[in-house]
Amino acid sequence: MTDILLYDLIRGHLLKLSVYAFFIGIAYRFFRVLFLGLPPDYAPPKGKPILKAIEKVLLKPSQAWRFFLEVFAHRGIQYVGGFLFHLGFLGLTFFVPQHAFLWGDILGFEPPYLPQVVADILAYSALGSLFALTVHRIFNPVLRLLTGKDEYLANFLIGLVLFSGLLATRWAGGAYYLWMLNVHMLSACVLILYIPFSRLSHFVYYFMSVFFYGRNVGKRGVSF
Amino acid sequence: METVWDLFRRRGYSRREFLSFVSVTASLLALPANLLMSFGRALELREKPVVIWLEFQDCAGCSESFIRSTSVMPSDVLLDFISLEYHETLMVPSGIYAEQAKEDAIKKYRGRYILIVEGALTPAEDGVYCTVGGKANHHLLREAIDGAKWIVAVGSCACWGGIPAAYPNPTGAVPISDLVEGKTVVHLPGCPPIGDVLVATLVHLIAFERLPELDSMGRPKVFYGQTIHDRCYRRSFYSAGKFASGLDDDGARKGYCLYKVGCKGPITRNACATIRWNGGLSFPIQSGHPCFGCSEPNFWDRGFIYKPLSAMPDGFGPKGMLGALAVGTLVGAGVAYMNKKQAKKGGK
Ligand code: SF4
Ligand code: SF4
Repeated sequence: MTDILLYDLIRGHLLKLSVYAFFIGIAYRFFRVLFLGLPPDYAPPKGKPILKAIEKVLLKPSQAWRFFLEVFAHRGIQYVGGFLFHLGFLGLTFFVPQHAFLWGDILGFEPPYLPQVVADILAYSALGSLFALTVHRIFNPVLRLLTGKDEYLANFLIGLVLFSGLLATRWAGGAYYLWMLNVHMLSACVLILYIPFSRLSHFVYYFMSVFFYGRNVGKRGVSF
Repeated sequence: METVWDLFRRRGYSRREFLSFVSVTASLLALPANLLMSFGRALELREKPVVIWLEFQDCAGCSESFIRSTSVMPSDVLLDFISLEYHETLMVPSGIYAEQAKEDAIKKYRGRYILIVEGALTPAEDGVYCTVGGKANHHLLREAIDGAKWIVAVGSCACWGGIPAAYPNPTGAVPISDLVEGKTVVHLPGCPPIGDVLVATLVHLIAFERLPELDSMGRPKVFYGQTIHDRCYRRSFYSAGKFASGLDDDGARKGYCLYKVGCKGPITRNACATIRWNGGLSFPIQSGHPCFGCSEPNFWDRGFIYKPLSAMPDGFGPKGMLGALAVGTLVGAGVAYMNKKQAKKGGK
């Protein structure tokens, strides 16, 4: 099969299939957990659970500085690496022009997009931090015990998507561009398909878990 | 025997003009400077090529493009450049005389002629969809393949099936390489291909007596080794994230990149951005229209001409997303309900 026919197959049928599977999968995970609910807790609340939950949902994502002050000294790689990785990965996913046009197609409105140089910086920092985080996982005795095949596979897939995207836009010309694009899109399709079945779907629960965390904190009447 | 140099002389052109043709062609072929002298010498001494040009299911656009390829050769020399023994559109004889001329040429120049094929083959139902002089196209091609020294497929129809092969492909159109065994077919795709590319390829064949370096799909690397995007003058706007959103909006007027309005330049290998068209005057992107990838296989069925390359060809849309989310929600709720029921049962 020629590179261009493989490209047509990936961007035509495979991409569509994986995006459908992705939305079905994340809705399934979210609502299954939501409908399962938590076991009833009969202890009387000491604080204001709902208010605290709302406060956490509103403030937690913007409390990086607090987190920085509290744990940077102990978990520098995870903090800096995690921050840079998420910033890079999400920035690239939504705000690279080519991706923004795809999102425009899916969502019906187009996110703003970045010049190539910003995308490059995001890609290098995301790749670098992903590498650092993976090495950290391998050598940190506690993290190593907590890490399964799932994490390594996820890191590999994300690394492949980032690396092939960077190669395609930055380094590959002529005949190689299409192959790089094929690798990039194929690995992205596999990643999109894989997310709902893996721990990568943690983003689906982010606000839900912050809400429950806030509610628990409120119930116990403590600050965090 | 007439050489290319004889031809220039006979047409009244000076040596300076011949040498200018040699150097322009050498630069198109990206020949290193040390080959220039031997290249010129070969064109002085070697016989001009004998060409049999077969035309099958097509629009004759490739022939049109060829006779307008005047950036390397003056047009009156061009028409004499190849000893065109048979070309249905360009030759003077017609009817049985034309067919006779072809059969004679195949015999007379056996092992020496260049076979150029334009148009797709339609072998389905024994070729009934495309016959010339009462013979089906695949028979005509078979007759000419054996004695050909070189075979050149010109245009996307001959190379990949092209527009005649578009879904649902009622005539069963296929590329000519489906019928050629044991010989390399040089592919010069495009709809049409740039005429100068064909002329330069022929010049390469006669000057060096060997094939130019080809890529994995049989295309000369020198013309098809890079994408339109690689050499596009709008590339800086692409990198800066500046895109035209319509064919005549403010961005388009400022010359921004045409990716968002459907440019397929990033996946299209062709020489339009370097050689350009009409004697190097312009090319589609320069004229404000996105490249639609006419030199790549399957361009005719790829569709979404005016949608960005990264969007899904037949769309997805919020409806698709909401539909998928609704399905996921229903399944999630259903499974949660069953889990709860089971847990209760287990509890009892
Ligand atoms: S106009 Fe097309 S070929 Fe030119 S830079 Fe933009 S996408 Fe690439
Ligand atoms: S710019 Fe693209 S569509 Fe236009 S002739 Fe060149 S390859 Fe074909």
